[in-house]
Amino acid sequence: MQLYISEKNLKALLDRLIADGMRVVAPRMDAGTPLYGPLTDSAGIVLDQLPRRSAKEAFFPLCEDIMSYEKQGRKVSLTDIDPAGFPETVLVGVRPCDAAAIPVLDAVFSWDYKDEFFLERRRKTTIVGLACTKADDACFCTAVGLSPANPKGSDLFLTPLEGGGYACETFTEKGEALVNANRELFAEPNGSTALPLAEPQTERFDLKKVKAWLDGHFEDPAWDSIAVRCVGCGACAFLCPACHCFDIVDEGTEKAGKRRKNWDACGFWKFTHHASGHNPRDLQPKRYRNRIMHKFKYYDDKFGQTLCSGCGRCIRFCPVGIDIAAIVSEISKK
Amino acid sequence: MHDNPIDTSIYAAVTEAIQGEARRILSEGHVAAVVGYAAARRKGSAQPVVVTRADDAGKLIFSAACVNNLAVYLTKARKEIPKSGKIGIVVKGCDLKALVGLMGESQLKREELYLIGVPCAGVLASTIQPDTALTAGTIAPKCRECDAHLPTGCDFVPARQPVTPELEKHYSAEIARLEAMTPAERWAYWKGQFKKCIKCYACRQVCPFCFCEQCLCDRNKPQMVETTPRPAGNFAWHIVRAMHLAGRCAGCAECERVCPMDIPLNLLNRKMAKELKELYDYEAGFEVREKGPLATYDEKDDQSFIK
Repeated sequence: MQLYISEKNLKALLDRLIADGMRVVAPRMDAGTPLYGPLTDSAGIVLDQLPRRSAKEAFFPLCEDIMSYEKQGRKVSLTDIDPAGFPETVLVGVRPCDAAAIPVLDAVFSWDYKDEFFLERRRKTTIVGLACTKADDACFCTAVGLSPANPKGSDLFLTPLEGGGYACETFTEKGEALVNANRELFAEPNGSTALPLAEPQTERFDLKKVKAWLDGHFEDPAWDSIAVRCVGCGACAFLCPACHCFDIVDEGTEKAGKRRKNWDACGFWKFTHHASGHNPRDLQPKRYRNRIMHKFKYYDDKFGQTLCSGCGRCIRFCPVGIDIAAIVSEISKK
Repeated sequence: MHDNPIDTSIYAAVTEAIQGEARRILSEGHVAAVVGYAAARRKGSAQPVVVTRADDAGKLIFSAACVNNLAVYLTKARKEIPKSGKIGIVVKGCDLKALVGLMGESQLKREELYLIGVPCAGVLASTIQPDTALTAGTIAPKCRECDAHLPTGCDFVPARQPVTPELEKHYSAEIARLEAMTPAERWAYWKGQFKKCIKCYACRQVCPFCFCEQCLCDRNKPQMVETTPRPAGNFAWHIVRAMHLAGRCAGCAECERVCPMDIPLNLLNRKMAKELKELYDYEAGFEVREKGPLATYDEKDDQSFIK
């Protein structure tokens, strides 16, 4: 279904959804930083910049309670968090790099163990994607086979038009349902042309060649020169739309507390630190190697997909300027 | 006013001098490696590099994108850099203060270092694209109040004089603004900032003074600080860090530069530094001292807080 929606009507749609009790999550400013979060009204939406953290947190939050415990005398009671209580959500203004990573994550969260925390949010969320009209030299979606107008992962996709408003295309039943329930806010396409799309400058990676090299080079001196500068923080993994490792901790007192699921990162020394004291990834290059291997080899081996959508956040915010696009491009030329 | 350009024309000559000196000390065997900056893929960008062969000295550069404090690579926490033999390091004046502190804390020995000092007019703020020209508006906040444009006590400093215009100070103005708040307002301000913290620990990992082999905050038996990125653990983490750095942090502002959530962490450190200056007339980073004011006892210290 192809339609048109004006900027004014898009805001009216969001306000109506909020008034109806729907949770509307979109990019907005949070203490000076653009982040996805629940809107209280449409005025707060910020659509002119990529949020600092990716949209994965709408399904896989930075931190969530998964269980609570309470001890009374000798009796311990455990209470599960029931994902059935998660709210219906519309996730709006999601850039193609962020949206494309979400179906990639479906594979791992519904593999041997069905992660209901992730999957229930997926079922209850409608994703409204938004095409990009600007890119910087850290953007590289086109290098991994995506594009600034790729609707992968979006239920409904918006493309900004010359003269204002958006071309609106539905891709799933969820997207159609959202449009049909609010049909009078949409109009037939008005013939306007789309604004020129962003043009990321990075050349396309030959992902098959990259994987072939990774298959044979678990041990290679290149890892040392690539990662000698890595300081071992979690900025790349935490900003990444596709990184999905987590840690489970119990927090509270002897009497009562919560079991929580937190984002984790393979760059941390503690990530593979064994209780014995042994660490199989004893130096940073081994940890950074895992990041590349997981994205361009292991995930491909297991699920036939690439765990990177080229958003460029890890490049922009790496404290020491590590550039995954440069590294993968180099590997594809080996 | 914000568009006023800052003259970085000396950086080309500084780059050439760094390359020449690195080539010399590597080829003559004075050092095993030189830690410096090299150009990276993105236009105008730079990243830390470890050069071990004289032939690679030509990779070294200095530009307004050379933001990192490389001192972090010399600490115990970084096991990947060769530690045998003398190490050369490219240092700006602000970075040198961290090295001075590390020597005072017996983490480094002066004779094991070959310091290549950089006459510096300033570097870019973290939010600026690396190919942007340096101006009064794009310069890093710390550079606005720099008192170390020309590092002293180095083994080699290119003979260039940076042009350093007077700029409006950032941290002193921000501290004054926060000091003027009521405690409730200040609490609300930091609550809003710390709420964004994702516990990526980039602040800790780039800090030259966070050299503990195991951070207290990484312990889980017993757990000292909640690791979860929630208000309690976030507050605890940032307060512990600010207190642990009081009297040690010399203001390289790396923690603030790298914070992907834009938390103004250096404000905490500058506030602590201000307190130390007022209470003990102490400033970190100017001379190698075995003990800072918080590690010594003097009968003349202010004791009015004991009641």
